[in-house]
Amino acid sequence: MEGEIEQRLSVSLKKVLREQGILDGKIRYVVPTDMNTGGEYADGYVIVTEKRLIAALQPPDKTKVQIFKGYRKQVQAEDMHWAYRSLPLNEIEEIHVEDCIGCNLLVVKAAEEEHTWAVFSNFHKRRMTYLARNLGEYLHSGTFRAEEVETEEYCPKCGRMYPNPHNKLCPHCVSHKSVFYRIIGYFRPYRMKMAVMMLCILASAALNLVWPYLNGTILYDYVLKKDDAFLEKVGINDGKYLVALFLVVLAMFLSKLVLLGAQIIQGIVSAQMVINVVRDMKKDIFRKMGELSISFYRNRQTGNLMTRVMSDADRVTGFFVDDAPYILVHVSTVVCSVIVMLLINWQMALLAVALFPFLLIFNILLRPRIWVAFGKRHRAESSLNHCVHDSLSGARVVKAFGQEEEEIERFFKCSNRLRRTEEVISYWQNFFHLFFNGAQELALVGVWGLGAILILRGAEGMNLGTLITFAGYVGQLQGPMRAFSQISQKWADSMNSAERMFEIMDAVPEVQEPSQSISLPVPKGELTLRHVTFGYEVNRAVLKDINLHIPAGSVIGIVGKSGVGKSTLVNLISRMYDTQEGVILLDGVDIKRLSFGELRRNVALVSQETFVFQGTIAENIAYSNPEAPLQDIINAAKLAGAHEFIMRMQDGYETMIGASGKGLSGGEKQRISIARAILANPRILILDEATASVDTETERLIQHSLNYLVQGRTTISIAHRLSTLREADYLFVVDNGRIAEQGTYEELVKKHGIFYKLLELQEKALAMKGLED
Amino acid sequence: MRRREVPGKGKPIGEPGEFDLEQMEKETEEMLKTFYLNKKNAEFSRTKGGFLSLKLEEQFYPRVNVVRMFPFREMERYLSIRTADERSKEIGVVKDIWDVDSETRNMLREQLKLRYFTPVITKVISIKSEFGYSYWEVVTNQGACRFTVRMGGNAILHLSETRILIMDIDENRFEISDVEKLTASERRKLDLFL
Repeated sequence: MEGEIEQRLSVSLKKVLREQGILDGKIRYVVPTDMNTGGEYADGYVIVTEKRLIAALQPPDKTKVQIFKGYRKQVQAEDMHWAYRSLPLNEIEEIHVEDCIGCNLLVVKAAEEEHTWAVFSNFHKRRMTYLARNLGEYLHSGTFRAEEVETEEYCPKCGRMYPNPHNKLCPHCVSHKSVFYRIIGYFRPYRMKMAVMMLCILASAALNLVWPYLNGTILYDYVLKKDDAFLEKVGINDGKYLVALFLVVLAMFLSKLVLLGAQIIQGIVSAQMVINVVRDMKKDIFRKMGELSISFYRNRQTGNLMTRVMSDADRVTGFFVDDAPYILVHVSTVVCSVIVMLLINWQMALLAVALFPFLLIFNILLRPRIWVAFGKRHRAESSLNHCVHDSLSGARVVKAFGQEEEEIERFFKCSNRLRRTEEVISYWQNFFHLFFNGAQELALVGVWGLGAILILRGAEGMNLGTLITFAGYVGQLQGPMRAFSQISQKWADSMNSAERMFEIMDAVPEVQEPSQSISLPVPKGELTLRHVTFGYEVNRAVLKDINLHIPAGSVIGIVGKSGVGKSTLVNLISRMYDTQEGVILLDGVDIKRLSFGELRRNVALVSQETFVFQGTIAENIAYSNPEAPLQDIINAAKLAGAHEFIMRMQDGYETMIGASGKGLSGGEKQRISIARAILANPRILILDEATASVDTETERLIQHSLNYLVQGRTTISIAHRLSTLREADYLFVVDNGRIAEQGTYEELVKKHGIFYKLLELQEKALAMKGLED
Repeated sequence: MRRREVPGKGKPIGEPGEFDLEQMEKETEEMLKTFYLNKKNAEFSRTKGGFLSLKLEEQFYPRVNVVRMFPFREMERYLSIRTADERSKEIGVVKDIWDVDSETRNMLREQLKLRYFTPVITKVISIKSEFGYSYWEVVTNQGACRFTVRMGGNAILHLSETRILIMDIDENRFEISDVEKLTASERRKLDLFL
């Protein structure tokens, strides 16, 4: 272990420090740094030995390449100019990492003064935070905690660091090939349809190949020229030319008929297949999005996610249905046509294909541009979606501030952006089309010209029928040419969408269900939090070392100013997020070991953000259990103080609410949410400001009904109105991410601490203004 | 059963006079006002640890932080001077860096330079997009940098039509102060993000 840590240290620095006798004792932690206090990039290290804290720094060197996460580590030349300073561990009073905007500081307090000990970018923040925490712990306990396992890992193939260490996926090495095979996987259930489709395609291709021969050589050179030798071969004697003509026309008619039939069948089959595949893909994306943790949604735009569900799946299939099956056909058509042409007349054949290599080079050269164009369209589409979503969900604010015109302007700007990107794409499409078709037309003109010259010169085997046949074969190239002109765009479009789609599907939820879960046969509802530390970002702990015990069946109040971490605390209990440190035990079992189903059955959260789904009130209340008897729904509504207002509505419990239905007030929505949680009948009921929008009278009612409800049930209630917590068994006062005070209502009042102050402020201020009920 | 005796509402709890409403209102009043610092009332000095201390009339703050209120628009105006503890309370505001003397100006600038360290991209060498991420190789005023940006999120911020803020996967910041000053081929590389 020690060797491994030591290896991280640069050789020259180790030498310098050893020579100076600074590197004494076992090396405990080593973390690289990349900046100096002057605000420049400079390589350095923070080293913790058993005796001292060392910071070493090289002079800034702008010729060095600064490498951040995602790139491969690079061994760079280093000189011996190390500046270092050290501090005996026993002189450290306090150590922590401070987050500035553009950098982070390792701040050490010694001799009552804070010192900037090292400066580093966010790249090293995580590890430095652990170092500071571990060292801080050592200062208290006198023992070194083993270094955290390094989570930053590198792709074994290309050496690049994984952008997301939890999701060992190297963007560089996920080749298009593997994406391709995964998409093919979606088509596998529809093998039969695929086979039918391929058959139809092959049939039409074969007929297409015969066609020029039929209407060229046979019609002109054999039948119209009355070639008896040939006609005898096919069994027509005695110069029955009209019969022969009839037969040829019939053959031509039948082949066109078969061709048409094949195309119709193929169209129907492929249409069926596409909608199925798209549906399957959408289902998978949507399911995956459901599995992903709240943190995933925190840093993504709704519009972007919508684009991924709605359009990407459609686009992915484009190439696979419209182009991929034909590639084989087109390639074979081209090969066969060229062979036939070579057999007929090699000079003309060479002329016909002379432009092919240029087309190929052209295609390869322009591919990156097309790729960018499709990426841009996705972004424009996302931002348009986002704009619409924003404006619609904020309609009230828009109206209130009279900003309709500005919103229209904003929308117009976004849709204009989309228009521009679409324009670029169609520009490329037309450009390619023009280029490929132009080349083909040019070849055709050349062929006609050369053919005419050859006929005039009386070249051997050259006559009008042959020339028409030949031109027919050149014409055969038209289809493949058009397809080839589109293939690289379609491919780019598909792959572009597929990458985004699989990025979601491959994302690993941060909160994971255990593979082997424990079940609670008789859940009691006892909660214990031990040393719980959590922050939405590694360095910014919102909750710090929370310890609390909530006995089964008790009513708990959590109090504190806004932004101190109350909601975060209950979010951890319902496992919307996982703790960074410490454990949460439900009936003595770590909640991380319970299946999601088990946990959600036992813990119900009514959060500040109420949400009603589209449907009837009854459906909304019975969200967690659609099979619930009507009696239970009514009971839950009554307990939540919702029954009366529901009955005042036209259709009672079957009133449509949500998107298309009747609007509910904030307080009404809250009561529906509470009823929903009550019906779920959990062991632990968490009310996070659940009655904030309800009038005081109803709030009392709900409080009262909760008292009935809480028989054998644990209730955790967060409230700003402290008066609502009078009936709680026990209160926790959260301040600055810690439990600052705890006790019963009376105890806290007697204590004259934070709670007392808050209470006084609320009651007195309200009383003075005569607002208290 | 669960009902408890509740102390009478409105009545003062504990000893009277301990809760000073006036004091509280004074604090509220203070929170509403903005206190401006200038060369007359504020005396900044460097600490040994590389921070700033502030002497404001009789009050001495051994360490203060300088925070921009409008970090993109106003780099040297509306600087909030805050206590360095966890609560980070505002002590006062330097409305314009030219309100303080030149030595203080230097001190404030040093602090800002470090706190708001953001390399400015002067040259784009290459940008490669791969599977949800883009790999950037650029030259900045701080030297060459290579970093990775997540696509599809909010990693690219358009501060104005031509000014872009780029955040890599660790949220390290990089800036392009004027896209139009880049060459046409560099802009083409950036095309996807514009």
